[in-house]
Amino acid sequence: MSEAAAGGAAVAARSGSTREIKRVLRLALVGLAAVAAAPYLLDTYTVNILIRSLLYACVALTVDILWGYTGILTFGQSAFFGIGAYACGLAFSHLDLTPTVAILAFLGGLAVAAAVAALVGWLAFGYGVSPIYVSVVTLVLPIVVTQILFSGGTFTGSSSGLSGFDTFDLSIEAWFWIAGSALVILTAAAWIFVHSDAGRLLVAIRENEQRCEYLGIDTALLKTLLLVAAAIITAAAGYAYAGFTDVIAPELAGFVFGTELVIWVALGGRGTLIGPVAGTIVIDLVSAYLSGSLPFVWKLVIGLAFVVVIVALPQGLVPVVGGAWRRLRRRPASANGDGLPILQAAPPRPRLVGADGGPAVALHGLSRRYGSLRVLEGIDLAAGAGELVSLVGPNGAGKTTLIRCIADGHERSGGRVLVQGTDIGRRAPQRCVGFGIGRKFQTANVFETLTVAECLRLARARRERPSPWRREASLALPQAALQVMAATGLDRQLGTAVKHLSHGMKQALELAMVLALEPSVLLLDEPTAGLTKAERSLIGGILSGLARDHGLCILLVEHDLDFVREISSRIVVLHQGRIVLDGTVAEVIGSALVRTIYAGEEHAIAGAAG
Amino acid sequence: MSAQFLDIVTTAAIFYVVAAGLLIIFGVMKIINFAHGGFLTIGGYAALIVTQLGLDPWLALPFAALVGLVIGALVERFVVRPLYARPLDAILATWGLGIIIGQLITIGFGREVQFVQSPVQGAALVLGESYSQYRLLLVLGALLLAALLAAVLHGTRLGLMTRAVIMNESLARGLGINSGLVRFATFSLGSALASLAGALITPLSSVDPNMGVPWLVNAFMLVLVSGASLVSLGVATLVLGGAQVLISAYGSPILGSLTIVVLAAVILRIRPQGFARE
Repeated sequence: MSEAAAGGAAVAARSGSTREIKRVLRLALVGLAAVAAAPYLLDTYTVNILIRSLLYACVALTVDILWGYTGILTFGQSAFFGIGAYACGLAFSHLDLTPTVAILAFLGGLAVAAAVAALVGWLAFGYGVSPIYVSVVTLVLPIVVTQILFSGGTFTGSSSGLSGFDTFDLSIEAWFWIAGSALVILTAAAWIFVHSDAGRLLVAIRENEQRCEYLGIDTALLKTLLLVAAAIITAAAGYAYAGFTDVIAPELAGFVFGTELVIWVALGGRGTLIGPVAGTIVIDLVSAYLSGSLPFVWKLVIGLAFVVVIVALPQGLVPVVGGAWRRLRRRPASANGDGLPILQAAPPRPRLVGADGGPAVALHGLSRRYGSLRVLEGIDLAAGAGELVSLVGPNGAGKTTLIRCIADGHERSGGRVLVQGTDIGRRAPQRCVGFGIGRKFQTANVFETLTVAECLRLARARRERPSPWRREASLALPQAALQVMAATGLDRQLGTAVKHLSHGMKQALELAMVLALEPSVLLLDEPTAGLTKAERSLIGGILSGLARDHGLCILLVEHDLDFVREISSRIVVLHQGRIVLDGTVAEVIGSALVRTIYAGEEHAIAGAAG
Repeated sequence: MSAQFLDIVTTAAIFYVVAAGLLIIFGVMKIINFAHGGFLTIGGYAALIVTQLGLDPWLALPFAALVGLVIGALVERFVVRPLYARPLDAILATWGLGIIIGQLITIGFGREVQFVQSPVQGAALVLGESYSQYRLLLVLGALLLAALLAAVLHGTRLGLMTRAVIMNESLARGLGINSGLVRFATFSLGSALASLAGALITPLSSVDPNMGVPWLVNAFMLVLVSGASLVSLGVATLVLGGAQVLISAYGSPILGSLTIVVLAAVILRIRPQGFARE
């Protein structure tokens, strides 16, 4: 592609992203106009109910971001709503209503909610904590908050709560405008965010958190920040709720309300933003109208609809309706390929080198035990910049375990791992990436529902912070990643969803993603399994070039000894958890010991040596 | 002192009975059945029907178990089976089921609190204390239940198949074990146990359409700290149930009601496998 054409396409891609944002902003303006007009068109009762529904919808939006997009199933947003509501109710009941008190109570409520959310994040996203734990904690949280409110005596009003306190002197229309415009603005902002480059991170975390960590992304921190942001928005909605209704009760913070929010989001359509908003407003409004005549039947209908949607329509009702509408108008859903970024070469950056100029990676007395099983024992190994060291050995020799111990400080049982002279200690994978480690897994470890371009953008997130509001028109990748993509034809598949790629192409994509990290120590676990012979030799050439010309240190696990012989500068033989041989290609391939170890593969060795 | 000892043992027995059904479903299917509270409620109302018909209160137990078994079998077939690959969605769908059960019961029996006749009344003299005979009987019931479950798991062909599915479902399937049947049997049995537990606990308190929810939360936490082991569940109910009794007595009832959920959450954070061995 000529430079001018590339530039033109880049402009087109950017304007695609900007055009969408403009469209959303126009829709938001329409929404704001509707909010402005609604109080004059609807009866007072409906407006009254709608204010509550709109505030609930703001909370549903946060549940959708957390659960629908990021995969954090939370039952606890109600606790934050309660915190905000009680900040308002308690302050106004026990203090005089002045602007200062109102503002301090507001900020205080948000601060408490944020602190509690940070605590939840610290509990739920620690290293080694099971993924379901966040749902457990968010289930416990509203129960604890409710009991605290119960035990507050006359201060919190115990089980009946507080009501009739002095509150803001605002008309019902004003409350409607506040709640409605807040919802419209939040929805538009959330839409722009989740469709931006940074928004793809949420989906990536939901899809494959491990890969995110090995791309150097601190997912625990990101998820905690999301929880905190969601808690702040929810507490603000709770504060407004108390200010408007003039009533606070422990149920606002309760577990039942927390699960109702999840139900509304699921019915509307998780991961669609507009679905949860619409679902919440419709269900809450109808509930209010039917609460007098058919309260139990209506709740039964909601329960039935919820079960049916979860079982049969996991995407919720709004996407189904939306799909029918689009088919009716014969307008195809906008393809993922819309506004593809233009590939560019990233400027080469100076490679990380240890201060003492020592080996790129050094292992001292490394061991790994699972109970009484010793998988690795007394491993001493050093590899320098420019070396391509192949680890070979029969199945179960401990090759993959060795790779794992270098990339994750929690993995080893004993010994030390130094990367560029720095001890990795007990650091998590995302910190090890910061030392210059890049790890490719044995089976392709990518993001199935994202596109090729989005995967690569995520791999660059460490180097270039993704935009939180738009999709960048260009994607700068280091030369090595571009070479892998050109060799395998991935560069023509930028808009393809990864799940549609062949196994071999996924392998190539993961390799390109790891190279996009610009590592100084590259850990590759069978990088070419599933590729054709031609692709293998192309990738082999790229790898040896990376070591030779760019000074990368590459550790490669490989079974194909022909491939190993062609590209390695050194071969290490692992057998039963120990290094039994460490030498040049000629030394190792010719060794009698290797033939004995590879008893079943004698011919391969003999053939390779001959 | 001995009263407190009896409180701890009987409380642990009650929690064991209540959580056992949830545990076997979680152990075999790796699914958390949030309709467990609904099945407890079903059991409570089955006992209420027996009382209202003026039948022998002991009949409440087999009747509750039967109702639970049938409804559990239907639920497995139509709701849980499509969700095997989506465990988080299974939690939500079964929670929805719990809502449906609660509303149907509300429509059928009304919202008010009702009382069930206890099969055993009066107190017995144990360890120098005059103590509720029914609570003491529940300890026997829990022991009997544990023995029965162990006998089924270790003494029958279905039990062997079940253990194979617990350890490695895909391997078990490869060996020709009908894991679908094991799942179906497990869910039905777990629901029957939940319903039986509901009938067992109602003489201690009362029935209302939402009676299952607080039990569900405690049972859920107990199961999470127990893993898939009936022995760990025994340990967990004694430790956490005991803590609840002591904290309610020396602290406050409100703190007591939070004991299990908070302690379990803390234990799971420090030791994700909880009371299970590995």
